[in-house]
Amino acid sequence: MFLTRSEYDRGVNTFSPEGRLFQVEYAIEAIKLGSTAIGIQTSEGIILAVEKRVTSSLIEPSSIEKIMEVDSHIGCAMSGLIADSRTLIDKARVEAQNHWFTYDEKISVQSIALAVSNLALAFGDDDADPGAMSRPFGVALLFAGIDERGPQLIHMDPSGTFTQCDAKAIGSGSEGAQQALQDTYHKSMDLKQACVESLKILKEVMEEKLNSTNVEMAKITPAKGFQMFSKDELEEIIKEL
Amino acid sequence: MSILSYNGSAIVAMAGKDCVAIAADRRFGIQGQTVALDFQKIYEYGPNLYMGLPGLATDVQTVAQRLKFRVNMYELRENRKMKPQTMLSVVSNLLYERRFGPYFVEPVIAGLDPKTSKPFIASLDLIGCPMITEDFVINGTCAEQLYGMCEALWEPDMSPDVLFEKVSQAMMSSCDRDAISGWGVVVHIIEKDKVTTRTLKARMD
Amino acid sequence: MIPTFGQNATATPKQAHFNPYSFNGGSIMAIAGDDFAVVASDTRLSEGFSIHSRNAPKTYKLTDKTVLASAGFHGDVLTEIKVLEARLKMYEHEHGKKMSSQAIAAMLATILYHKRFFPYYVYNIIGGLDEEGKGCVYSYDPVGSYEREVYRAGGSAGPLLQPLLDNQIGFKNQQGVEKVSLSKDKAIKLIKDIFISAAERDIYTGDSLHLKVVTKEGVSEETFPLRRD
Repeated sequence: MFLTRSEYDRGVNTFSPEGRLFQVEYAIEAIKLGSTAIGIQTSEGIILAVEKRVTSSLIEPSSIEKIMEVDSHIGCAMSGLIADSRTLIDKARVEAQNHWFTYDEKISVQSIALAVSNLALAFGDDDADPGAMSRPFGVALLFAGIDERGPQLIHMDPSGTFTQCDAKAIGSGSEGAQQALQDTYHKSMDLKQACVESLKILKEVMEEKLNSTNVEMAKITPAKGFQMFSKDELEEIIKEL
Repeated sequence: MSILSYNGSAIVAMAGKDCVAIAADRRFGIQGQTVALDFQKIYEYGPNLYMGLPGLATDVQTVAQRLKFRVNMYELRENRKMKPQTMLSVVSNLLYERRFGPYFVEPVIAGLDPKTSKPFIASLDLIGCPMITEDFVINGTCAEQLYGMCEALWEPDMSPDVLFEKVSQAMMSSCDRDAISGWGVVVHIIEKDKVTTRTLKARMD
Repeated sequence: MIPTFGQNATATPKQAHFNPYSFNGGSIMAIAGDDFAVVASDTRLSEGFSIHSRNAPKTYKLTDKTVLASAGFHGDVLTEIKVLEARLKMYEHEHGKKMSSQAIAAMLATILYHKRFFPYYVYNIIGGLDEEGKGCVYSYDPVGSYEREVYRAGGSAGPLLQPLLDNQIGFKNQQGVEKVSLSKDKAIKLIKDIFISAAERDIYTGDSLHLKVVTKEGVSEETFPLRRD
């Protein structure tokens, strides 16, 4: 299999005769090595939850950040090569502030996804916009936010393709987690249930035992926007699992 | 900036039925800084003859006194009261004498003819070009605003009460949109046998 | 030392300078009501003592909910409108929705400020409906300082018109009056009266009055004659 691909997986922008871009596909594969991240959209807001792989007791867990604030009303969870996400998140943040500066209104989640997608697709181009790399980004993102269309959850992969979802799981445990979401998700789910559900699923797919230091969770609500859960708040929910 | 707008002022005279009104703001300032709130800009030259002097404050007072001198001399020599029409000529003459080094004032005259009691209003520019109108005359830094107000509010044959209301509204709304006019307004309503003087409570900012 | 040629040659070289601006007059106005906005302008386009056009309205429909009035240097007005219309379309494509009046207002401020050191010589007033369907007015200086208001007059007769609006709509300097909200018909009648007054005294204002009335049904237009001298 690798023999047949070898001629076409070097140039990042070269199609194989079957019409495939191998480097992009490999990048998508890279996500499956990342830690699991889950997003659930409800009518009251959105929950983002991620697993943190604390591989050594000598690591300071709070220095691992896999959920980030893009603007006061938009958050982002990620899986894959976290270092690659810095450029993308930075782009998202600049775009959000530019929109606010120019139009005196909050940017929509879709517009953020569009802007980031444009950057994600600009790989391989030497003189493309600043921030673009020579290879595809090795990270998948879950954008969650509140805009004039209500709560929005958008998934984006390294190809720059983005899709709106009710609930989505990415990363190493995504297959199992997505199946679990499929079974448990319903439209009338409230925010509290979504919190519990996302941690339950993470607990199932994680190799380590879930606790308040090896998960991160955030909610985005119409009233208060983006809020990270504190250690205490997490413990409160973990107790109920 | 013109020296005419060094101190700031708003003056209007308006004609009604058998009556005229003349009004001025009371501010004395030096450019943006307000110095006094009781500055006299309207002077009386006879029982039914008033003149408003907008412009450079020092010239306002000089011209006012030099005119008083000329009016007194006229009345002693002629042994009769001065008509507003005559007053206009006197002012015009006084200002034109300084054609090439003018007083920085643009006077407004309001009065009733001593014999016929016919309303008379007129204005001059700083070198004495006279202008007589039937409706209203305006001068000062706030002239544009006053033109807008007066043009909309004025109507023929107003009673003294209506005239007072219109002039007051015009003055107050205009002065509110001029940074160097306002801080109180004085209105004189001149009728055949009486002159009513009122000071208006206005915005002090 | 200035080089001299002959006894009387003392003149220094002078740089002939091109002035990029001229003033083409025109008065503009906008009033916001509870559920409508009226944007008005005269239709005279002039320069010095000559009239270029008697039929050049200075109101521009930007969307079904937003109308802009611009007066000043007509060349800059036309350019500014082109830029705005292009930006309006770009926004629609990028964000998949029409721009709100507030967003247009904010964007215009940045467009004007981006030319802070070679400004558009234009006075702008926006009238329209906000996202709650209420009437809104935004007024600007040429470099983008802006403010939301209920009414505003601008352009060559702006100083003549504004105090009257203060008095009649803002009820300024009036004691013991009931501050009733303005009806659409009263607003239009008032604008007509005010422009007749302005045309009387301002030589750059006259010919016709052009009104654009913004309601939830859209933008309707009306024209009314003014003095032409």
